[in-house]
Amino acid sequence: MEKKGWDGFEIGAMLRTFDGAVQDIATTLPENRPYSQSSSFTASVADWRIEKPLFNKDYCIDCQFCWIYCPDMSIISRDKKMVGIDFDHCKGCGICVQVCPTNPKSLLMFPEQKDEEAALAEWPKKEKKDQSEEPKED
Amino acid sequence: MSEIKKIKNLKDFSTSADRFEGANLLCPGCAHSIIVREVLNATNDDLILAASTGCLEVCTAVYPYTSWDASWIHIGFENGSSAVAGAEAMYKALKTKGRLKQPDRTPKFVAFGGDGATYDIGFQWISGCFERGHNMMYVCLDNEVYANTGGQRSSSTPIGASATTTPAGRISYGEKRNKKDMMAIMAAHGAPYVAQVAPNKWKDMVAKIQKGFAAEGPVYINAMSACTTEWKFAPEDTISISDLATDSLVFPLYEIIDGTQLNITYRPKNIIPVRDYLGAQGRFKHLFTKQNEYLIDEWQTRIDAKWEYLQRREEASV
Repeated sequence: MEKKGWDGFEIGAMLRTFDGAVQDIATTLPENRPYSQSSSFTASVADWRIEKPLFNKDYCIDCQFCWIYCPDMSIISRDKKMVGIDFDHCKGCGICVQVCPTNPKSLLMFPEQKDEEAALAEWPKKEKKDQSEEPKED
Repeated sequence: MSEIKKIKNLKDFSTSADRFEGANLLCPGCAHSIIVREVLNATNDDLILAASTGCLEVCTAVYPYTSWDASWIHIGFENGSSAVAGAEAMYKALKTKGRLKQPDRTPKFVAFGGDGATYDIGFQWISGCFERGHNMMYVCLDNEVYANTGGQRSSSTPIGASATTTPAGRISYGEKRNKKDMMAIMAAHGAPYVAQVAPNKWKDMVAKIQKGFAAEGPVYINAMSACTTEWKFAPEDTISISDLATDSLVFPLYEIIDGTQLNITYRPKNIIPVRDYLGAQGRFKHLFTKQNEYLIDEWQTRIDAKWEYLQRREEASV
C-alpha cells in the first residue's frame, strides 16, 4: 500500500476498509468482504503467540462460548457450528480454552510449533469430575 | 432495518458477522474487544462510532490500519461523546431537510471511552451531550485505571488498588479514594436508560444494549472491562475474573430507567466473598498483609451496603 504522510491526505479523506461496494456490512461474512489493505484484517499478529489453541472437533458441542468470549474475532463460526481458529489474528490469550465447558476440553493450548495431528493424537481422555478441571498439557 | 435483531441464544448470536477486525493491538485477553464485539453485534443497523483517546482508540487505529468496518471517528481525549453527538445532530438536520440519500436506514450512534475519558477528562462533554438529549449511546469501558499511559489512577480506581501514581508500599496501601458512582450521576441527568454491564454476562449485556438502542435519547452504559495488564492477572483469566466481579457484587448488574426505576438484572445464586475477587488480582496483593487486612473487611461492608441500597431502590422504584 502506498504510504502517505500526515499532509498527504486530502481533507475529508479516510482509511477505507473496503475496496469495492458492500451493501450491508452487518450481514456480509468476512470471506465475502472486499477488504482493502488498510483494514487490520489484512495484517497478522500471529507472531505474538507463544502457545496456540488447537481445536478437537470430536468433543465440541458448538456451545459458542469460545466465539463470544474471543477478544480477537479468531473463532470462526458458520451456521451455528464452530469451524476452526483464525491463526492470523489469534494472540494466544487462552480465554477460549478456559471457557470451554466440555470434558475433556475441545480446545487446548499447545506450544506454537506443535504439530496439529500429533496434538490431536495425544488429546487427554475424559476426566472424572472430582479431579481438578485444569487441562493437562504435554 | 430499524427492527431489533433477534438473538434468542448464543448459537443465534454466533451467526453475526463481526464489524470489528482482528490484528488490532489490544493486549491478549483484553476485555475491551469482547465488549465492543457484543455491542456491535447487538444490531444489524449502520453504526456511527466515535472513540475517546484510550487503549481502544490507540490500538484499533494504528497507521495505516483501521480495525473498524463502520464509520469511526476519533478527535481528542475528552470529546468522543460530543463527536458522535455532532454527527447525530447533522443526521437529524439532514433528515428534517429531506436530504438523506437513504432515509429508510436507521443508523445507531455510539461513543466509546475508557474510564479516564468518562469519569475524569471527558466528564463535562458527556454531561453536555446528556443535557442536550442527543439520540446516542455512550459506552464506558471501565477498567478502573489509565491503562493506556501506564496505569495511573483515575477517579474510577477503587480504594486499596495499587496504581503507578498511588503505589502501595511500606506506608501507603495504594489508592485512598473511593470509586466515583458514575451510574448515579448519569441517571441524575434524567437519561432514559442507564445500565451497568459485564462482558461475561453476554445475554444480559446484549439485552441492555438493545434496550439502549431502542430508547429515545442519550443512553449510558458502564461496561466492566477486566484489564489483564493493570489488574495483574493471567490473560486467560479475563472471563473468570469478570465472573468473580459480578458474583461478589463488586460490579452489580442493574439498569436505571428514566432516572428513577432501578432494576437489578442479575442476582448471583451464590454470592462469593469480596476477598476472593481481591485475591485473584495482583493490584490488591498488598491488602493480604497484617497491617492492611482491615481494608478487606471494609470492602465487604461497603459492597454489602451498596447491594442493600440497590435492592431498596428497586423496591421503592423512586
